[in-house]
Amino acid sequence: MANALRLMARKALNSFITILLVIVLNFVLFRAMPGSPMMNLRSNPALSESFKLKMIDEFGLDQPMYVQFIEYVKHVLTLDFGYSFINPLTPALDLIMDNMVWTLILVGASSIFMIVIGMTIGIISAWKRGSKFDTGSLAFSLFFYAMPTFWLAMMLIVIFAIELDWLPPNSALPYGERLELSWESFKGLLYHLTLPAISLTIGSIAAFSLIMRGSLIDVMTEDYITTAKAKGLSDANMLKHHAVPNAMLPMVALIAIDIAFVVGGAFQVEYVFDYPGVGWLAVDATFKHDYPVLECAFFIIALAVVLANLIADTLLVYMDPRIKEG
Amino acid sequence: MAAATSFSSEDKSSSRLSGLFSEPAREKLRLLRKRFKKTWAIYRHNRLGMLGLFILMGFILVAVFAPQVIQVCAWIGDWEIAYDPFYRDESVDDESPPSPEHWLGTDSMNRDLFTRIIYGARVSLLVGLVATAVSMGLGTAVGLLGGYWGGVKDEVLMRITDVFLVIPWLALMIVFAAVLPGGPSVTKIILVIGITGWSSTARIVRAQVFSVKERTFVERAKAIGAGDYHIVVKHIFPNVFPLMFANAILTIAISILSESTLSFIGLGPHSSEVVTWGNILENADNALAIQRGLYWWVAVPGLCIVGVVLAFTFIGNALDEVFNPRLRRR
Repeated sequence: MANALRLMARKALNSFITILLVIVLNFVLFRAMPGSPMMNLRSNPALSESFKLKMIDEFGLDQPMYVQFIEYVKHVLTLDFGYSFINPLTPALDLIMDNMVWTLILVGASSIFMIVIGMTIGIISAWKRGSKFDTGSLAFSLFFYAMPTFWLAMMLIVIFAIELDWLPPNSALPYGERLELSWESFKGLLYHLTLPAISLTIGSIAAFSLIMRGSLIDVMTEDYITTAKAKGLSDANMLKHHAVPNAMLPMVALIAIDIAFVVGGAFQVEYVFDYPGVGWLAVDATFKHDYPVLECAFFIIALAVVLANLIADTLLVYMDPRIKEG
Repeated sequence: MAAATSFSSEDKSSSRLSGLFSEPAREKLRLLRKRFKKTWAIYRHNRLGMLGLFILMGFILVAVFAPQVIQVCAWIGDWEIAYDPFYRDESVDDESPPSPEHWLGTDSMNRDLFTRIIYGARVSLLVGLVATAVSMGLGTAVGLLGGYWGGVKDEVLMRITDVFLVIPWLALMIVFAAVLPGGPSVTKIILVIGITGWSSTARIVRAQVFSVKERTFVERAKAIGAGDYHIVVKHIFPNVFPLMFANAILTIAISILSESTLSFIGLGPHSSEVVTWGNILENADNALAIQRGLYWWVAVPGLCIVGVVLAFTFIGNALDEVFNPRLRRR
């Protein structure tokens, strides 16, 4: 157990360092690089004088660079990124948090489906390696893997929203409505969420099915599987108790890495569907030159993904007997 | 495959090259050809790999000979002139549907869509290749150095790699595209994709270096007194190269997807200066093409992207199997 704790401490430290590096990257890109948005703050014609003074005062933008950096770290650790350039009275973080809920709903709902369906396809493919199902699912997976998610979303809109007219082509809720705790509101949400969620799920399934297949094929050449076969275990028994649990380890590790891939897909889906998530907001902020919002969105996404990775790593430590007892 | 074993008996097949190359160079060439033949012999039997190769050749031919392809099409379709991708045909409506004069109709600025898609292959492939070269260079350098040095320096490099590995690729690219100076251009999009896409290469190369550097031929080189630079370049790099190559092909696929996504969002080069499949789709989206039933405008460029990306994926996976015998069917 001491071993596991030491490993966890190390992982946690690494995650912390990654976050610190993200802060440094943010600082360099948005504030320290010549021509960066904050360097050009004073000459930005879109902002009022009082707003500029407020930002300069709050972040010490008239101080030497190292003082600015220390100020910046202090602010970031309290998640303070200043105010939106477009809505000077709204903190950037508030805008992000409003939209974060929607991204979490989209990514959460799709993730469950893509993991379950992807893994099932992967397991059957690996088990029936070389069969028609395997070839078919491999072709299917690679085909959708090669497809830009935004294009897939557009094609699904063509089929299900325009030609068949089953589902709405955009937004997260019926026009002008807010999410409430009622059956009606939930139905509206479901009605609008289905197509974006299907787009994201199909767009990302391949990442999971291909990995599961590869990892299970790897496991099935191990000696203990041969032993299990020699013992005369049934296929289902062997798959359930020997092969799949061992193939799950690399799978969990890779799910963590895939989070980054899925979020990338979610951005595209949000953009195509005008779905008010963080990705949509980030693109919108880019075109409106609303840098504090972009900066904040970037940091929050990085933070969320690093934490998700840390959780996956923790799971891995508890699942892997070699680490727990070794 | 170590370059250290380059002393062998005379070979008949290399004799016709004598006079052109020096003795060691000729020997190297012979070994290279032998290795290529062996690799090809295994690769040939990978059906998807061969399919990918054929699709890719098709796209490359179309990209290289785009003007000629259009000329031939103009002759077949009996068009008045062979269009170029920026020519505005004022004799037809904008956003016109497919017709004998314009096989895939025209876009909002009366430009021939078929011509644009043919020419689009050029920049899409170019960006994919050059951006991959950039990220391969960065990733290989970081992976080789980290793996060879080990210790604290490696730790520092790996933490930096983690940042680029963990953060969602699209978020990273949008931020770089928004903040890097200069307006949208081909150079900028190549830089953005290259700078953000090197992390997995670095990881793969580093892992490979770790396994190579303990082998005896590296020990031997050290014992003879070879310098770090010599060991890395002459002994470690050649052994890392095959896996890197397979990885590079897969990275091209991802770079092409990245280009089309960035261009689609509107962060790529402007469609009046450069034509890529991504910005054809951007134009279509701005013109609400799918809402108005102009499906061909969206479908065809998208299918081109899928085709090219699929081709590179097939080739990359096949090469992975060739160079990594563990993956081959047991």
